[in-house]
Amino acid sequence: MPAFKLKKVFADDLGANNPIFAQVLGICSTLAVTNVLKNTVVMCVGLIFVTALSNMTVSLLRKYMPSRVRMMVETLIIASYVIIVDIVLKAFLPDISRQLGPYVGLIITNCIIMGRAEAFALSNPPGLSFMDGIASGIGYSYVLLAIAVVRELMGSGSLWGYPVLGDWWTNWSIMVMAPGAFFMLAIFIWVVKGIINKEEEEST
Amino acid sequence: MKKDSVASKRVFPVVFMLAITLVFISITTVIYTYTKDQIALNERLRLKQAVLYSAGVPLPDNPLETERLYNERVEEVKDESGTVRYFAIRKPDSPSTESFVIIKTGAGLWGEITATVGFDSNLESFVGLEVLDQNETPGLGGRIGESWFKEQFRGKRPPLGTVPEGDPTDTNQFQAITGASYSTAAIQDIMNTSQEFARTEIGNE
Repeated sequence: MPAFKLKKVFADDLGANNPIFAQVLGICSTLAVTNVLKNTVVMCVGLIFVTALSNMTVSLLRKYMPSRVRMMVETLIIASYVIIVDIVLKAFLPDISRQLGPYVGLIITNCIIMGRAEAFALSNPPGLSFMDGIASGIGYSYVLLAIAVVRELMGSGSLWGYPVLGDWWTNWSIMVMAPGAFFMLAIFIWVVKGIINKEEEEST
Repeated sequence: MKKDSVASKRVFPVVFMLAITLVFISITTVIYTYTKDQIALNERLRLKQAVLYSAGVPLPDNPLETERLYNERVEEVKDESGTVRYFAIRKPDSPSTESFVIIKTGAGLWGEITATVGFDSNLESFVGLEVLDQNETPGLGGRIGESWFKEQFRGKRPPLGTVPEGDPTDTNQFQAITGASYSTAAIQDIMNTSQEFARTEIGNE
């Protein structure tokens, strides 16, 4: 796997081609899980695992997969890995599994996984596809973690379930509800786009 | 196989799909088979922890000690079909009953909420509450599973109502979860209907 290709994959997925603020994929889970930091971390780990393995599996099968059934095959592969994540959580991390509830199963519906399978894994070798899955997952994760830190801190006065802000702080309930997630995501995209546009203007 | 032949256009995709489905179903089945005993064990342990917590018994740190304590102090009262009707918690080193625990379900916002509700031996006041199963929104209604919410029910008496502002001052009041009125109301309903349910199940004994 050439190093320059790997570097480009990571630079793209963490930066200009980020799945959240550039491609605007995976927004449902971004809004749903980022009100609690612990749930966000588990969702991110689960997504990195599923995206990387799905990408690699789709890439391994790409030369044999008939185009007529490719989306069904991709959905089957993604669903299988998500089921595995769900089973493993129930068996070895039951408390986390209980807290996440239906959100683990909803990883199947995350557009990022299908999007990377279609856009990258179908036309790249397995090793690079695996790394693209990891890079996309990391790109998704840092955005979610940044939003989750702010939402849980302002919405519950805590981080990772531990009280941080004390009695002087009045919790902003809107931050743990859906509108708060929209606001935070919009602000994040606005800030990042502003920085990217400014860099482009300066370079020209 | 020619690219445009019937076999390549119609038969091969079906065969491929069937084959890949078989492979992945086999993989997930193996993983499920390998872990199902552990999952069942987790669920049984969870129920035992919930019963002890609802009865106000301090929970040990490790599962083995939880099992020992459960076997020592909890009697499962079953019906003719073997289904547990309620749990009777004995006093330490005594055959007399300290409290009772029932399993109660109610409608939450997104699905059913299942909880264990503990009563004193007279079925007059609550000893504890543990949420066994719920699908409420994490961070909002899901907070019914947090200890600060559950702990406030110890010593309260039905019928319960939410306190409009500030901390509860009455044994009939509890603090709701801001932004989760449906989930709070679901727990309120479960608690308020559980005394009658308990009296029906246990009161005749």
